[in-house]
Amino acid sequence: MNTKLKVSEISKIYPGCIANDKISLEFGSGKIYALLGENGAGKSTLVKILSGVVKPDEGEVFLNDESIKLNSPLDAKKNNIGMVFQHFNLFETLSVFENLSIDSDKKDKDLRVIVKDILKKYSFKIDLDIPVLNLSAGQKQKVEIIRCLIRNPKILIMDEPTSVLTEQETDDLFFSLKQFSKDGILIIYITHKLKEVLSLCDEVAVMRKGKVVSVSNTIDEKIESLANKMVGENLNTIKKKINNFKNSEEILKISNLNFKSDDPYETNLNNLNLSLKKGECLGIAGISGNGQNELFQILSGEIITEGTSIMFRNKEIGKLNPRERREYLMAFSPEDRISQAAVPELKIYENVALNNFKSSNFFEKGLVNEKKIKEHSKKILSNFSVNTNNVELKSQFLSGGNLQKLIIGRELITSPELLVCFNPTWGLDVGAINYIHETLIQINEQGKSSILISTDNDELLKLSDRICVIYKGKLSKIMNANTVTAEKLGILMGGGSID
Amino acid sequence: MIRVEKRNDVSRSIYFLTPVLAIFLTLFGGGIIFFILGFNPIEALKFFFITPISDLYGLSELLVKATPLCLIAIGLSFCFKSNNWNIGAEGQLIFGGIVGGGVALLFYNHDGFYVLPIIILSGAIGGMLFAMIPAILKTYFNTNEILVSLMLVYVAKLLLDFLVVGPWSNPEGFNFPETRQFSESARMPILFDGIRIHAGIFITLISVFLSWLILYKTYLGFQIKVSGLSLKTAKYAGFKGKTMIIIVFMISGACAGLAGVGEITGPIGQLHRNISPDYGFTAIIVAFLGRLNPIGIIFASLIVALTYLGAETAQIFLQVPKYTGQVFQGMILFFLLGSDYLLFFKIKFLGLKKNEL
Repeated sequence: MNTKLKVSEISKIYPGCIANDKISLEFGSGKIYALLGENGAGKSTLVKILSGVVKPDEGEVFLNDESIKLNSPLDAKKNNIGMVFQHFNLFETLSVFENLSIDSDKKDKDLRVIVKDILKKYSFKIDLDIPVLNLSAGQKQKVEIIRCLIRNPKILIMDEPTSVLTEQETDDLFFSLKQFSKDGILIIYITHKLKEVLSLCDEVAVMRKGKVVSVSNTIDEKIESLANKMVGENLNTIKKKINNFKNSEEILKISNLNFKSDDPYETNLNNLNLSLKKGECLGIAGISGNGQNELFQILSGEIITEGTSIMFRNKEIGKLNPRERREYLMAFSPEDRISQAAVPELKIYENVALNNFKSSNFFEKGLVNEKKIKEHSKKILSNFSVNTNNVELKSQFLSGGNLQKLIIGRELITSPELLVCFNPTWGLDVGAINYIHETLIQINEQGKSSILISTDNDELLKLSDRICVIYKGKLSKIMNANTVTAEKLGILMGGGSID
Repeated sequence: MIRVEKRNDVSRSIYFLTPVLAIFLTLFGGGIIFFILGFNPIEALKFFFITPISDLYGLSELLVKATPLCLIAIGLSFCFKSNNWNIGAEGQLIFGGIVGGGVALLFYNHDGFYVLPIIILSGAIGGMLFAMIPAILKTYFNTNEILVSLMLVYVAKLLLDFLVVGPWSNPEGFNFPETRQFSESARMPILFDGIRIHAGIFITLISVFLSWLILYKTYLGFQIKVSGLSLKTAKYAGFKGKTMIIIVFMISGACAGLAGVGEITGPIGQLHRNISPDYGFTAIIVAFLGRLNPIGIIFASLIVALTYLGAETAQIFLQVPKYTGQVFQGMILFFLLGSDYLLFFKIKFLGLKKNEL
């Protein structure tokens, strides 16, 4: 049976922002539709409307030409609309089957038969009786998908499903999605990743600032054309020249670093070795939760590991705290920009004062030198094109991009020899990402080194001179970036080995 | 269905006005209680809040009570601002009193300008050392400072009990549980004849000024502020967390110790079992009512001091127990926390959805 879904003139206004502005789109079964857009373009709002989580201010949704009311997620389920969110809604300690039976009205015996059929039909390999916490991200996502499939959905909506997957798991997912599509399920695929749109989807609707700016067949599109539509301006693609650093001076050397945590939610690090040359960018890839956090904190001095050797410019810094390491010209941009790198309740200049060390003279004889800090802050705001010149503004009123520029600016204005950054561009829009990327390339060109810990492979391939992968607290071999491909990274990130 | 949402921006003036609102609500609540007890609420409140300060003696008594409250609350604000929950200021006050009192007894037949400063200093050091116990246990053994500091209050109280009954009791005191009277040079100078207001008020005022200086103008103050808002950030910025915990406890303990020594060398003049009517606990209310701000704490200490006086007047004129004062203190805290909740969160009443039932 054919399914037709139509949204007509949907609008949703939040205070201070129009999330959806008269959106009209049509979808028909047998095809995979991409909904493409930057963060904040309005994709998620539209998806929430379709899944009954948010009510539109105006407009209607038609299923097979009949107007339907979606007042709650239950209404969406009744209309056979299935939804897989970016974050999993699973009980970690329950078994796979228990998770599936929780919101099912079928008897356990019948349900097991149905689930087994689904597993067989789509050749999913999941043990139904092990706790969910033992599953990989890809498998957890399959459980969410199975949960939808149990209800024979006509429509399946996937919200940025690949953000937690490895390349292999992504390929797997795409294979399954194509099968579902063949079986007549209408698939709406939300993403901001252009490559995925081209390799998976049949039609693509691009959203920008709450409006649909284009609907087209993916066959007619290229990465560049989609990117331009998504961002609304011609982007000059930046790619770093990869240099050879064989003869450069070694700036950082870590040997045999081990970290064993008392906290079961932290990852232990085993025998890490790395070295970094002057002017070089070392990329560290990996799926989040494989020890990146711990590695960052060890580099920044938030975690002091006993008996570890960290040589920075021929000095042993292993026992120094972050402030002392800054004296030796290291700088750090942590992943959590909102509540760690800055304090939202503090004013911009106060946040700038966080990066303080003796030679900055922010505090003379223990007293605050407010004038100096403010001057310094103004310099950061203008040099790093932060969208305000008011240093008294509380940093909670800065957008993510501006806040990150402020933080990177704060860290870089002291001309450090090494910048360690952890996911510097997550959640930012393309404009801000480009700015941060250009800045990171610039510091390498100025002969300063950087370590980029990131879960975004494109970013890593774009900025790094050498790349390695962290998996379960172990580093892979460090490879030259020009020999690395996304596929290789994917294999290593998933725990496989290459060569 | 009810949903509670965080408010993003709270205006600074409203932030400092809500304590005033809390005080009015307390008056209103107090009026209701008096009404239920069968009094004319307006009259009763007048006895409670106006009569005690309607003459010079009353005003001086207000300052006598506000002096220790303000001083302790100033110290506590250092701890609370940096997320260290020192609940044991009462114990630090008593221990400061014990050490200061001990020194005063040592000098009981000495005269000289140097006696009082030595006593005051030793009292401050006593409170400081006593506060370092929970601080050190917290930093090096991960204990909970709330429990440790609170339990130490009883240790200090029992120690005082033991001393005034046993070794330090007045040899000519007919076995009353109290020490000798301190010598004249060991007493805080009285500022005006006939009223009890004493030089301790200057110690308090100087501390208020110093605390403002430290909190807002020094690197230590900046570190305290950042650690209070986000421990993660403090760690990232490389602040020495352990040292800071110990420093704020030391400041807080020294203030409480000073308050204790101010009481025994001021209005009391000796050591006995009840050198403090729970000033150390009440000062917690003062600190929060004053928004942990030095100026705010001055006003808050005056208002809370008034509840002490009011309770005494009400006991005389209305024959209600003096614990009414604590009822009022409790109400102030209750209404303050309540209005703070509404200040920082908004409550949305959403229609019931059929499907959610």
